[in-house]
Amino acid sequence: MIHISVYYFGAISLILIGLYAVLVKKNLLKMLIGLSIMETGVNLLLISVGYISGRSAPILSEGVGPNQAVDPIPQALVLTAIVIGVATTAMALSVAIILYEKYGTLNVEEIRRLRG
Amino acid sequence: MNGQYAALIIALPLVSAFFVPVIKAISKKAVMPFLLLVTLAQVGIAGWVFNEVYTSDKPIIVMAGGWRPPVGINLYIGHFAALFVLIIAVISFFMAYFSIKAVKVEPLDKYAMLFLLLMLGATGMIATGDIFNLFVFMEITAITAYALTAYNKTGEAAEASMKYMILGGIGSSFFLIGIALIYGATGTLNMAQIAQLAGNINPTVAQVGLALLIFGLAVEAELFPLNAWAPDAYQAAPHPITVMFSAFVVKAGLYAAARLLYLMQAVSTWHSVLRLLVIMAVLTVVVAEFSALRQRDVKRMIAYSSISQVGMIAFALALGSQAGVDAGVFHMVNHAIVKALLFLGVGYVGIKLGGTTLEDFEGLGRRMPLTAFAITVGSLSAVGIPLFNIFWSKVRIMLAGVSAGYTWGVALILGASVVEAVYYLRLIHRIWFAGGGERLSESFALGAIMLFLVALILVIGFYPNYAWSLAQKAGADIFDVTRYVSNVPLMGVGA
Repeated sequence: MIHISVYYFGAISLILIGLYAVLVKKNLLKMLIGLSIMETGVNLLLISVGYISGRSAPILSEGVGPNQAVDPIPQALVLTAIVIGVATTAMALSVAIILYEKYGTLNVEEIRRLRG
Repeated sequence: MNGQYAALIIALPLVSAFFVPVIKAISKKAVMPFLLLVTLAQVGIAGWVFNEVYTSDKPIIVMAGGWRPPVGINLYIGHFAALFVLIIAVISFFMAYFSIKAVKVEPLDKYAMLFLLLMLGATGMIATGDIFNLFVFMEITAITAYALTAYNKTGEAAEASMKYMILGGIGSSFFLIGIALIYGATGTLNMAQIAQLAGNINPTVAQVGLALLIFGLAVEAELFPLNAWAPDAYQAAPHPITVMFSAFVVKAGLYAAARLLYLMQAVSTWHSVLRLLVIMAVLTVVVAEFSALRQRDVKRMIAYSSISQVGMIAFALALGSQAGVDAGVFHMVNHAIVKALLFLGVGYVGIKLGGTTLEDFEGLGRRMPLTAFAITVGSLSAVGIPLFNIFWSKVRIMLAGVSAGYTWGVALILGASVVEAVYYLRLIHRIWFAGGGERLSESFALGAIMLFLVALILVIGFYPNYAWSLAQKAGADIFDVTRYVSNVPLMGVGA
């Protein structure tokens, strides 16, 4: 039995690690990895919100009735959030490729033609 | 006619977007006319929905799959949504036509698809009655907006898109954390039910959750710490897309923020969230106005002007009073018209003359008189000269600010107007009193669109009462939460 606060602690740490990477790192790919870590943390947080100690996955099968399962809604939400995260990451990486072609670098301090 | 057909405002653009590849396979030339046709049909549907809602004075509740909320997801098309879905559709229709002239970069079929999905995302954000559905529509809007920003495939466009994506990614994570907190506290995602249960939530959880939701929406709504992407994206995106960003994508974000804010009125710590939004709004106005002064590129200058107006709208919405919300909605409508006109005019100049720096506008009065006239009217209106539409909404915001106890809000808006006057008059001066050149031929249809928008500006400027009564109804739709809750036929589950 793991106490529920472990999940909250893990989720919030992941969010903070991701945020740190996005805000501090100079390499674009590291920033995008940071974004992914942050999304993972948020997904874990959502899952833990619906967690009820001692219950199983919300799949209706033999021996698992509605009262033995955890809250299914957050799991449905996370499924959607994961798909959206994949789309965003794919989009970001393809733009990163264009950036590398045009600027010859992935350092965000050198990618600065638009200013003011 | 059955109100459930109103689901077409979501279904039509979604289905049509996925039909674009089929159309392309038949004939490549048919893609852009198809886009025009779909947006025209959307105008028809939105017009019907608008008429239905305003004549019956009752919102249309669309229940997905026939399930009653909160089990099923519902769309809530009230006075605000009906008005803005119509504005979105009309502007999209104009921009679909403008795209035929303005967008020459291939692949056009992908462009048409993204265009429809952007329209869909903004429509959905305004129409939905479910907080997670709102997140999904926000992400649809955001991802298509990222892609369209990068559409021109230049280094600048990719750079702007990347900035937007990083901020958007942070914003959407914040929004999801907010959803997790609110869901954890209420056990529901339905907006009406959240409003019902808001009073029972632990005030700290509600406060943090609401602040996170608003922070997440601030990326789309272009509020201060999270709006660094906006001027870059406005400058680098194709011209019709810039119009769409300014005219309705940002409005969808603002509306969602206001809706969530007023749903949680019953929370005891509500006023501290209002203050947070007021601070963000004021910083948005101040920073954007001073940045606009320094710009040499007209498109970027108007982008900053647009951001500062958005700050004023957010200020009005954050006053926490009926008058403030009404004034904010009125300003949203006026701003959509004026900025559509300005970005359309500037974009057209960009296509004809190959650039949008201040120098390109010298002698525009002689070279493209119609466009120059349209930009001049738009500029005068944006400054807030009396007898143009924005004058009335600025006055309304000031009055609402005074009655809500923010007397300095008047100074803020007047000060911002003075700064706006400086840079807009500089532009008008360049257009009419500097340089010269050959007269160029102007597109008849685009001229007609511009004249239509000019006429709207002047009509609202001379007879503001009708538009103001629309705005009041739409504002009451946001502000009056008890009516919102009673309009949604909630099943008695979990409440």
